[in-house]
Amino acid sequence: MTPSRNPLLTRTAHAARIASTARAARIASTARSARTRLATAVSLLLVLAAGLAAAAVGPTAASASSPGSTLRVVADTSFSTFNPFLAYFNGELAVLGNIYPTLTTIDEQGKPAPYLATSWTTSADRLTWTFKIRPGLKWSDGKPLTAADAAWTLNLIMKNQVAATANGSLVANFASVTAPNATTLIIRTKKPQANMLYVSVPITGIPIVPEHIWASKVSGLAHFKNMSFPVVGYGPWVLSGYVPNQYATLTANKSFFMGAPKFSKLIVQYFTNTDAAVAALRSGQLNEIDTLTSTEYKALASDKNIGRYPQVSNGWTGIELNPGARTRSGKHFGNGNPALQDPRVREAIALAINRPELVTKILDGLGVAGAGYIPPAYPQWNWTPPSGSALNYDPAKANKVLDAAGYKKGPNGIRIDPKTHKPLVLRLGIHSDEITDAQMAPYISEWLQAIGIKVNVQSMSFNTLNAELPKGNWDMLSDAWTTGPDPTYLLSIQTCSDLPLNNGTGGNTDAFFCDPKFDQLFGQQATEFNPAQRAQTVGQMQQILYNANVDIMLYYADSLSAVRSDQVKHFFYGKPNAQGFYPQQNLFINWRTATPIGGAAGSSSSSTLWIVLIVVVVLLLAAAVFLLRRRATAGQRE
Amino acid sequence: MAQPAALTELELSGSASLGRGADTGRGDSAPRDFLSYLARKTGAAVVSFVMLMVVGFVIFALMPSDPVATLTRGRITSAKQKAFLIHQLGLNQPVWERFVHFVLNTFQGKLGYSWQFQQPVSTLVAQRLWPTMLLMGTSTILSIVLGMWLGIHSGWRPGSLLDRVSTGTSLTLWSVPTFWLGLILLVLFSVGFGPIPPLFPAGGMSTPGSPGGLSPAHFLDVLRHLVLPCLTLVLVIFAQYVTIMRSSIIDELGSPYLLTARAKGLRDAEVRRRHAVPNAMLPSVTVIFLQLGTLISGAITVETVYSWPGLGYLTFQALQIPDLPLLEGTFVIFGASVIVFNLFADLLYRHLDPRVRRQ
Repeated sequence: MTPSRNPLLTRTAHAARIASTARAARIASTARSARTRLATAVSLLLVLAAGLAAAAVGPTAASASSPGSTLRVVADTSFSTFNPFLAYFNGELAVLGNIYPTLTTIDEQGKPAPYLATSWTTSADRLTWTFKIRPGLKWSDGKPLTAADAAWTLNLIMKNQVAATANGSLVANFASVTAPNATTLIIRTKKPQANMLYVSVPITGIPIVPEHIWASKVSGLAHFKNMSFPVVGYGPWVLSGYVPNQYATLTANKSFFMGAPKFSKLIVQYFTNTDAAVAALRSGQLNEIDTLTSTEYKALASDKNIGRYPQVSNGWTGIELNPGARTRSGKHFGNGNPALQDPRVREAIALAINRPELVTKILDGLGVAGAGYIPPAYPQWNWTPPSGSALNYDPAKANKVLDAAGYKKGPNGIRIDPKTHKPLVLRLGIHSDEITDAQMAPYISEWLQAIGIKVNVQSMSFNTLNAELPKGNWDMLSDAWTTGPDPTYLLSIQTCSDLPLNNGTGGNTDAFFCDPKFDQLFGQQATEFNPAQRAQTVGQMQQILYNANVDIMLYYADSLSAVRSDQVKHFFYGKPNAQGFYPQQNLFINWRTATPIGGAAGSSSSSTLWIVLIVVVVLLLAAAVFLLRRRATAGQRE
Repeated sequence: MAQPAALTELELSGSASLGRGADTGRGDSAPRDFLSYLARKTGAAVVSFVMLMVVGFVIFALMPSDPVATLTRGRITSAKQKAFLIHQLGLNQPVWERFVHFVLNTFQGKLGYSWQFQQPVSTLVAQRLWPTMLLMGTSTILSIVLGMWLGIHSGWRPGSLLDRVSTGTSLTLWSVPTFWLGLILLVLFSVGFGPIPPLFPAGGMSTPGSPGGLSPAHFLDVLRHLVLPCLTLVLVIFAQYVTIMRSSIIDELGSPYLLTARAKGLRDAEVRRRHAVPNAMLPSVTVIFLQLGTLISGAITVETVYSWPGLGYLTFQALQIPDLPLLEGTFVIFGASVIVFNLFADLLYRHLDPRVRRQ
């Protein structure tokens, strides 16, 4: 039987309902006064509960924010493995760099310095490197740490394709690695290798692992996660625990020869968004945070317990112009606008962009206008265009360049390409997942419009943009890179040998740039052992790139960090420069030198308070339910 | 209860057990009917699952991507290494061959091997299943309870203060973007604002460094971490239960069986609870089951805001590479979960609603 939809019956029901309301109203009035009382009681109880909650939790937050011997920092990425042969996410690399030793390290000036190796010499033909290994060191399980461990690790990466996953390219030029005794390591290279001292450095280089632990893992290396804790290693920290997808726990190595960490415990937690991490920093659940946006950074200014540290950038943001996609053998492909093959058009575009304004508008002044290809974090590679040759913002000059090149303005102000007789319309691909890209695009469009070039902005995901790049189907793309202290990789992506093969595979070219002179200098710098000389060659390479205007450097955004200055001191090192920017920081040093302020309270467990709170809430709910039940059944009891 | 037994009898046959009477006399054929109904519905579910696999595979295969480039970005990678990686990831196989592997593996319960995590997809899913079920389960139960209660009471007296407040509030919250609400709650209750102290943690599922295990302290710790993400979800999703339950109750308001019930002298609350609500349940059951099916896929935005280590966020991570085996694996699991719960819903309808049985 289903309820009838007969309109007559429905109406009747309504009439009956009206008749019954009078009676219901009487009952309701008693119920209502009961309800008022109930409401008053419940609200009183709620106020009480809120007070209790505040009382219970207030001290909790305070105790969490009191300094302890636990340093809590943010991981850059989540962790999926602690196998140093396979790891390549930044979060994993930062941990691995602190739990395994390396041959050399990077000092506070950003230059190579001794670590396992106390000193090194090169042979006359510059093909043999002899490292003296520090004697008397022990792995965390007490076994001796010798040159043999280093030789074994490097040999494994050279010979085993799985072990080469993360760092194979760093040893590609190695001919042999041997350890004639416990304190001597000899590396022979096929060609002279100038960046040898950057090959095994913490975080960006190859970690050395204990042979006696890893020898048995080689056969199953591809699936080995290295997650039995504590992990046997040597470094300022010992990896002592990991909660999947949340955080890793490290314990200080009190006998670390460079000086034991000042905190006794380190927690590296992963936050899926920086807003939450910022919230955690402000409420004292975190001590330090990196990779802030300029907005987040500015917002932290009002918090007196938070110290802010802008650092000279280790990366650049730029625009690449498609100079004509082609393969290594010179076969052209893709649908890039042919006008961009004309260096004068690229020069005009470079002149039309107001880089200092981008720094002001997009970065809130927290950055530097772009010029040289290597970011300013590493002063040894610094290059700035010689005075007079800098392509500063000059739309009038840009217009002149285009006029002289024969790109006449059409009726609507858009220039016409003299070769194809088509209007100069360029696509600008930007990353949809990068907020600064979306902010930058309208400026670029407007500035190029002013010199008669129309821009169509196309927003693409990081993956789509990555997938489209090697196909050459683009005119202008937004681009960004960061680099470690050795610029080899960043330079390599601009060489002809990184262009794709005819079958479309191979090559990591950044923007189809190819200049034989650049390639020759690339080969030369790789073999220059004198740092000053190498820097000069790298400078010449940057000059070539600057003149080509294939990668136009827009700006170097500061790396922005903040630290709880009421909980931690000495996290950051170095003195700020004239603009107030600190030198590029290194987590291998930061985590070790960070010092707790005040007593070593640790984070107190507040579970008693929570138990009290929850019991109160449960009691309240029970009382409310009881009262409601009484009210609901009041009629039956009457 | 001081109610005469006769009345209880009357109302039983009258409404609460709607079709039980009408169904008598068809007892012989009932099991056979049920079996054929079951077979029909299961068949449909299997067809849906096959379609799901095809669609899932095709969509992800069509996605413009170069996983090798994304995975090796920033590291010098020789052509040999790239070739090795392409071979290792199985990208050198033709698409149809990958599809056949995918189908065969899925039917054997194997979900492939994640490219970025270098782990079996099933391991990754299993790791994140419990956090997701905890978050989604708790928030769904709370939303159902809260939403249904408000819906029933608002619908019973449309236009009343409670109705206006609950409908207004729930619809406002329903239209609020989840991530935005999450961020607001995060700032309010995790950082603290004005007189509000920092009450809850900003992210994760437990306090780093606290001992885990099955201790009461750990349980409370997880509970504390659960509050904000759960609250965000409840505030957004309870509206659907309010609106559906409210409109179903309003539909029943004028029905004559309610008049009968009142005529028997039942109190208002009794009429509502024992007569109106059971009849108004059906649409809500549909929504609840649809919701249960999507439970497992988590809430990407909430998990991302609160760093909750669940399946929603795993899918997001998979999309970034894109990690095709992981995407396909999670897609199959999420889809299968919806299909299974819909099948349950179909079977339950038959039990709840005699009209379905008579079809």
